[in-house]
Amino acid sequence: MKKTIVIALLMLAWQLPVFAAASQYQIRVDGLTCPFCAYGIEKQLSSIEGVVSTQVNVKQGMVIVTMADGTTLNEEIARDKINKAGFSLRSMQPVEPGERIAAER
Amino acid sequence: MVGWTHPVWGAPITFNTALPVAEGEFIAREQLILNQSGHDPGLLQRDRRAVTAVSVLGYGVIPRLAVFGVLPYHNVELNVTPINQRQSRHGRGFGDLTVIGRYSLVQQHGRGRNFSIAPFLGIKVPTGDDDQRDDLGRQPPAIQLGTGSWDPLVGVVSTYSTLNYQLDGQLSYQTNNAANGFERGNVARADVSLQKRLWPRSLGSGAPAFIYGVFEVNLMYQQRNRIQGSPDPDSGGTRLFLTPGIQYVTQRWIGEAAVQIPVRQNLNRDTLENDYIARFSIRFNF
Repeated sequence: MKKTIVIALLMLAWQLPVFAAASQYQIRVDGLTCPFCAYGIEKQLSSIEGVVSTQVNVKQGMVIVTMADGTTLNEEIARDKINKAGFSLRSMQPVEPGERIAAER
Repeated sequence: MVGWTHPVWGAPITFNTALPVAEGEFIAREQLILNQSGHDPGLLQRDRRAVTAVSVLGYGVIPRLAVFGVLPYHNVELNVTPINQRQSRHGRGFGDLTVIGRYSLVQQHGRGRNFSIAPFLGIKVPTGDDDQRDDLGRQPPAIQLGTGSWDPLVGVVSTYSTLNYQLDGQLSYQTNNAANGFERGNVARADVSLQKRLWPRSLGSGAPAFIYGVFEVNLMYQQRNRIQGSPDPDSGGTRLFLTPGIQYVTQRWIGEAAVQIPVRQNLNRDTLENDYIARFSIRFNF
């Protein structure tokens, strides 16, 4: 019985990093008004380690950042990068697994 | 006689100082300017045609500070009839380099909008040839490639933009110093640009390309030139241009065209008047 519990806990622990690290984040950006401005945001966010792709939605003022498996996006780092692009980070939240958007490569 | 200077720096289309540049990012703009001046109020039947390719390179040092370099390549032709004989003078080559630093004092961001106010300082460096000669001797200042003088400039540019339109305004003043016995008149400018999104009419997802209709107003006042310290009566004055244009805007590049139409020219005595100024440019970031 104890052996079964230990094995179950080990299997759960092995799965945890996959569930804990969200692979997509939705970032609301203030100041985004045209497509030419979007390039700076993409370039800055893409320089963050672990970022696989970025998708900008100008109308929504939103960027979807897709991360590599097992990596997370630090909000302060994202805020700094967006500031460097000349904009402001309004909010950031992980995208639920069931609502993820296909990353463009 | 002919000594007005046209601006080769500024953004939306006729001025560069509102160009957006992120930190660590470059923006390049190549603009072709066709400047035709053939309405001569005097007796010399002057006709001046200038085709200038202006290269602009901007770099974002930090989010609020950007620097720009502006270098023109001139191809200028001046035709005059002094004594019943038509003369043609040409000038071709790189002109003076202008370096500008812009710092955003005010930056306000909201959802789908932003506002900024940024003063700028610059200096025009005498890199162009200011002593061109031909068979008739030293060429007149109107077609010399450079001025030979270090000329500072100062100004402020402001931008308000939304998803549907952008409004830019610029005030600037350039002090022109003497060189080779000639001093161009100082220039004060006021420029306004309105860019209105024409297409797509409604935005979908992603970052689609935009087409902007553009309308700009350019007001320029130039003091009289000075020759050997004395004012040239046939120089200086005020010009007002209305400038319709169009832009195609993508994430990585912008293609644009505009024509400056002089609607009012209040110039001193026989100062040569503009017919039109046409501009075609492409800019891209990297």
